[in-house]
Amino acid sequence: MKRSIKLTLFCFIVLLFAFSSCDKKDLEEDNRVTIVFKYGKLFGDPEPIERLIKEFESLNPDIRVKDEVLPATTDEQHQFYVINLEAGSRDFDVFSLDVIWIPEFVRAGWLRDLTHVMPPELRKEFFQGPMEVAMQNGRVYAIPWYIDAGVLYYRKDLLSKYGFSPPRTWDELVYIASEIMRKEPGIYGFLWQGKQYEGLICNVLEYIWGNGGSVVENGKIVIDSPNNKQALGFVRDLIHKYGVTPKFVTTMTEDSTTRIFAKGRAIFMRNWPYAWNILEREDSPVKGKVGFSVLPSFPGYSSFSTLGGWFLGVNNYSRHPRESEKFVRFLSSYRAQKLLSLTVGYRPTLKRIYRESDIVKTQPFTAHLYKVFEHARPRPVTPFYMVISQVMQSEFSAVITGIRNPEDALKSAKKHIEFIMGIGY
Amino acid sequence: MSLYRRRPQIFFLLPALFVLALVMFYPLIYVLWLSFHRRFLIFNVSEFIGFGNYVFLFLQDERFWNALYNTLYFTVTSVFLELVFGLAIAVLLSREFRGRGGVLSILLIPWVIPAVVSAKIWEWIYNPDFGILNFILKININWLGDPFWALNAAVLVDVWKATPFVVLLLIAGFQTIPNDLFKAAKVDGASSWHIFWCITLPLLKPTILVVLVFRTLDAFRVFDTIYVLTAGGPANTTETLSIYTYKLLFHILQFGYGSSVAVVIFVFTGIVTVFYMWLLSRG
Repeated sequence: MKRSIKLTLFCFIVLLFAFSSCDKKDLEEDNRVTIVFKYGKLFGDPEPIERLIKEFESLNPDIRVKDEVLPATTDEQHQFYVINLEAGSRDFDVFSLDVIWIPEFVRAGWLRDLTHVMPPELRKEFFQGPMEVAMQNGRVYAIPWYIDAGVLYYRKDLLSKYGFSPPRTWDELVYIASEIMRKEPGIYGFLWQGKQYEGLICNVLEYIWGNGGSVVENGKIVIDSPNNKQALGFVRDLIHKYGVTPKFVTTMTEDSTTRIFAKGRAIFMRNWPYAWNILEREDSPVKGKVGFSVLPSFPGYSSFSTLGGWFLGVNNYSRHPRESEKFVRFLSSYRAQKLLSLTVGYRPTLKRIYRESDIVKTQPFTAHLYKVFEHARPRPVTPFYMVISQVMQSEFSAVITGIRNPEDALKSAKKHIEFIMGIGY
Repeated sequence: MSLYRRRPQIFFLLPALFVLALVMFYPLIYVLWLSFHRRFLIFNVSEFIGFGNYVFLFLQDERFWNALYNTLYFTVTSVFLELVFGLAIAVLLSREFRGRGGVLSILLIPWVIPAVVSAKIWEWIYNPDFGILNFILKININWLGDPFWALNAAVLVDVWKATPFVVLLLIAGFQTIPNDLFKAAKVDGASSWHIFWCITLPLLKPTILVVLVFRTLDAFRVFDTIYVLTAGGPANTTETLSIYTYKLLFHILQFGYGSSVAVVIFVFTGIVTVFYMWLLSRG
């Protein structure tokens, strides 16, 4: 009997604690407004963000910022925001957004209009790719925070050993890779991300764009164009015809490709800029042997990289929109972007930072990425993107595993996407 | 008040019923209600379409049938293998020998490891480049990237993980069989095979049924293991109903259609449970 009383008491206390933590009273005791900032977990030291928050608070003594960290994976964050924002949550004010969610969140009315925070002259200072996404119907709904794009990494030691220069076209890449593979047994030619997930879309789109194709054009689905068919066929041939890409690429993600490449077991790799720091680590077997360039394209077309990166937005249900705007402006400012670039290694969205001497000196890699980011292109900017992505993921996967030919896959993708978009409109 | 006099127990049950209603029946009915709607949150679309979702699901959605096939294949093969291996190991472990406890606890490790962690471990084991499985077998199979192997690889992980659970239940079942029966059979000169077939198996039947209920339902709803291993790829060849539902609901926010797939899962598991219960009640 006594034990059960104790147990009840215990449960009661636990519940008390559980509920008291949502009590809002403690937040506004000293007339300061508290805004909550949510963002995905950083790879690395979170200290710079905390430093920035402190700085913001000392600049704005009437605002307090509480930062809350979400898990690193995009899907989990998306799920969190969707569930909370659908319920009209006011628990957070400022949050970071993946580039692919923005049209969807705008359409849902979850993002506050930030046009006044970002006047036209300021917009020009940002890269064009992210701005294309941030602006919907002539209004600005999010501010580009940091940027990402696909890069081609190559083993410069091997290329120069056999007298090659970095490939400009995909055919050149295949040629170089197969030549070197012949002379260096046991090495893989070209690694990229082929698992059925968002990363596969990022990869395949780069071939499609680099062959003059696209997915959506003026609201019409043009995914089954001859150019796209050719591009997708080439991706399949990388594995099944030319053999420069190993079959297991159908399970590969960013991390696993980086790991193999970092061991010195591949000649080329398509990856995001983050891989650079891993490849250049002190104990890395390929340190100093890696070069990078803009991705190749097909003859007659220019090269494009898939745009990645994160934005800052303000929750439309926020109780403190003005204070939140201030914070967003601060976090995306020149100073904050530069600090995050020098410390965490985020690539800034403000173009001028890339030309500054301390960035060029301490982060030559970042400075060189300027050209890549100029050619970064957003994935189809439509509120239906998540749906389109789901369809494309399985069709592209079916092509590269060899169980479907590009023509059928693209036709079926078109049919599905049109069906879904038909529902929405 | 008179009801309270006559049957006070009903009132004692009320709080529990209330909690159950809140956490079980309400979501259940809500999902059912959602499944009759076309609901696309982002576009503020929410309209009643009756059985529209179900018509599309059964008649036009190839992806649903693919997911159903994968789920059934996964359930049947993994449960069958778990039962066979579980039974074999349980028979071996039912005898007394030195270090039996130790063996049992080692055997339980796969079951104790959280599903996501073990799936992650297996992802490394299956890695076609530096995975240990290809290294040991001296072969080169693209376990998780090949449309044929991927689902079988997931079955193997589930068998590895759930067999200990089956063993545990079966050993518990063994203990309920009186030892005298075995002794008597031996005196009568029955072979071990005969003993297994005519004594062990029939008397284990209730336990086996319980094992089947647990494992079938778990396997039918499989999510975590496969999601971590392949996330449904390549080309949806490992996409089960749960993963499809998850993607519909949380990736592309089709709450109405996603709910109707969830309802189908619910009905299927319900049928399976009722079937097993019927078997159990027959003894």
